Amino acid sequence: MKHKIISIFLIFVLAASTLNGCSRIQDERDGVIRLRWVAYGTSVPDDIDKIIKAANDYSRDKIGVVVDLEVQPTEMINLIMASGEYYDMIFTCEWLNSYDTGASKNLFYDITDLVQTETPQLYDIIGDYWECAKLNGRIYGVPTLKDMGSEMMYRLNSDYFEGEKGMTIPDFMTFADIEPYLEAYKKDFPYKYPLAVTKGGIPGFINFLERIIGTVVVIPYKSETPKAIPIWESEELMERFRLLHKWYTLGYIHPDASAIESNGLDKDTPVRFGVAWRGYSGYSNPADWGFNVKTSIYDGPYLSRATEQGAMIGICAGCDEEHAKASLKYIELLNTDRKFRDILAYGIEGEHFNYLKNGTVLRTQTGVDRYQVGLYAFGSVVNASVESVSTEFLSDPDQWTKVFEGYKEYGIRSKTNGFVYDKTRKEDIIAAVNAIYSNYSTDLMTGTSDPDIVIPKMKQELIDAGIYELIDDIQSQLDEHLASTK
Amino acid sequence: MDKKPKNSLTKSSRKEGRQLSLMTVPVVVWYALFCYLPLFGIFFAFKDFTPVPGESLLKNLFVNSPWVGFRNFSYIFRNPQIRSIIFNTLLYNIIFLVAGIVIPVTLAILLSEIHQKMFKGFVQMTLVLPYFISWVIVGYCVYGFLSTDTGVYNSLLDHFGADKVQWYQSPQYWRVILIVLGIWKSCGYTMVIYMCSITAIDRTLYESASLDGASFWQRVRFITLPHLKTTISTLFILGIGSILTSDFGLFYQVPMDSNALQEVTQTLDVYVYKSLMQNANFSYSSAASFLQSIVGCILLIISNVIVSKMDKESALI
Repeated sequence: MKHKIISIFLIFVLAASTLNGCSRIQDERDGVIRLRWVAYGTSVPDDIDKIIKAANDYSRDKIGVVVDLEVQPTEMINLIMASGEYYDMIFTCEWLNSYDTGASKNLFYDITDLVQTETPQLYDIIGDYWECAKLNGRIYGVPTLKDMGSEMMYRLNSDYFEGEKGMTIPDFMTFADIEPYLEAYKKDFPYKYPLAVTKGGIPGFINFLERIIGTVVVIPYKSETPKAIPIWESEELMERFRLLHKWYTLGYIHPDASAIESNGLDKDTPVRFGVAWRGYSGYSNPADWGFNVKTSIYDGPYLSRATEQGAMIGICAGCDEEHAKASLKYIELLNTDRKFRDILAYGIEGEHFNYLKNGTVLRTQTGVDRYQVGLYAFGSVVNASVESVSTEFLSDPDQWTKVFEGYKEYGIRSKTNGFVYDKTRKEDIIAAVNAIYSNYSTDLMTGTSDPDIVIPKMKQELIDAGIYELIDDIQSQLDEHLASTK
Repeated sequence: MDKKPKNSLTKSSRKEGRQLSLMTVPVVVWYALFCYLPLFGIFFAFKDFTPVPGESLLKNLFVNSPWVGFRNFSYIFRNPQIRSIIFNTLLYNIIFLVAGIVIPVTLAILLSEIHQKMFKGFVQMTLVLPYFISWVIVGYCVYGFLSTDTGVYNSLLDHFGADKVQWYQSPQYWRVILIVLGIWKSCGYTMVIYMCSITAIDRTLYESASLDGASFWQRVRFITLPHLKTTISTLFILGIGSILTSDFGLFYQVPMDSNALQEVTQTLDVYVYKSLMQNANFSYSSAASFLQSIVGCILLIISNVIVSKMDKESALI
């Protein structure tokens, strides 16, 4: 009996593997190209295999390319890059698997000519945003069209502030304007903390400065001639640190904010931070929070090379031309075919999501539970249908056109002309500077420490570590770049 | 007549020798694979590692990456705090080294005097258990005690009318907290090693000593401790070897990476992690671990020489 069970099991295994092998062999016979695509994600969704199969069936028919899609976390992507492993397409950007570093070390395929001859449609769609992918005039990766600038906002419990307290939540405010809201809540609930701040800091807190080295050396957007400065020279930032510290001492921020993770917070904290774009409704679903949420923008949108590089896809330098072309074709399909893009974004229609009347997408419970991925990590966000949070809260299906027009209209653009700092000469100072800053950053960002006491101490340590040597190097490279691009 | 038994003896002993050597094969293979084979990784520390995608690791390391000498080490000494970092690392390790002998040996001797089996087993298990709890979990348990508004200690302080303490902002307490936690977690495990050695001591020694009227203290002093000498010196020499290495979990996870506690929690491993968190630079991290290993190796050899001068049998080599 036992033997029987084992043999039946083995037959199944064999059958399954041959069947799987069959489709691969069939693909090879038909000249279908298989690509290894490494995307970013912190967890692998349950239904990923099903969805890849559906996507592969679609792309096989359309362009004769299929993918082996892997969702990998930060460490694995770094490892794949550092060990020189083979892949065809990989997630790269400014904040993970640095695009500029990879491009300057020639780790990515130079697609400058190929993209214009092979996929002119893709070339047109990305348009002006190719600029952020250019290094010395050459292009090494495809920028993902998504929110290209960062807009920072407060997310407020409008049931409480507008309904109960009769306050109004404006669409725009300044960073400091939130104070009366915090004060009102603290008065009603003296044992609670109204502002959601944890160890992870505040999302987008430093985005009003262009980051050059982590968050230590920055270039202010607003200055006329771009100048690299250490953060303590930004009076605006110092003011915000002081404000946070004031809020901390008044009990608006959790006393252990610098030690707790975000899940250690009370869910009904009434004021939270967010980074998104105008018209984004993902924060507003009352089913998520138990109350209605209204957002109020306090900063942005700021656009620079770094923000535009928020998500990209790089093609391996070790690819042969056939695979590079296939990769570009695949990326083009992601950018042009909405039906195809929706499969990878939301899953299978009818099972994971449904289209609403106005053309937006509503996930089913299966979709919510079994297939949630970061849209930006899988190619064009703009080409995917817009998601509505419920049948009552319909999103604007055409929001992206407005967002992109908005960038042209009121976007605050960096004046550095896409400057990239070549870190190789000062890498040891950068490592030391990052380590020193991380000894202070959490406490500053959470308001735990008094900036007027801590910053002078930090400043001295950074100077001893050679930060001015670093800044001089950055400034000379910056001046050179500005002179050459004028 | 004389020769025959001798011959058969050598034959059987030779056979036995062969069998015994065969038994070491798995260990030799394990060491070769996991300790000697990866040694080529040392070259990472002296190269500017720039991999070319699609090519093998060895080719990337030896052919594609240029030599840079000691440049990969410089970031470690760039930090003006490096003195206090090294001081912390050494201080904690020396304390753990001494306490890691005194406390487990004491516990092992006391426990071996208990003859009630159930109770002995219970105490032993309670002491060993912490060794198997991850530091992350310990960190959250500690937070449960020390949290500013809802923590156990602050609730007690509040109850008795004392002022609340912001534990994660008060570095003065943390040296003690870290040392206590470090010992709490490791002492049970080391204790088991010492208890094994104590069990191996010939019981008749104790019996005859008792008959001669030796007190408990005299039995410990003249029988137990001399027999434990080899085990103690072995563990001591091995401990010296990792003097620049620290338990990352204890010094990073448990204090929740709180900025205010840096001056007492920052050890070499924590610093290396923090400087390389933002950009994964394998050359820099191998430079750091190379430094740790070299210093550890030198100290290990020196302490071994000293121990062998004092007592030849207790030395490792």
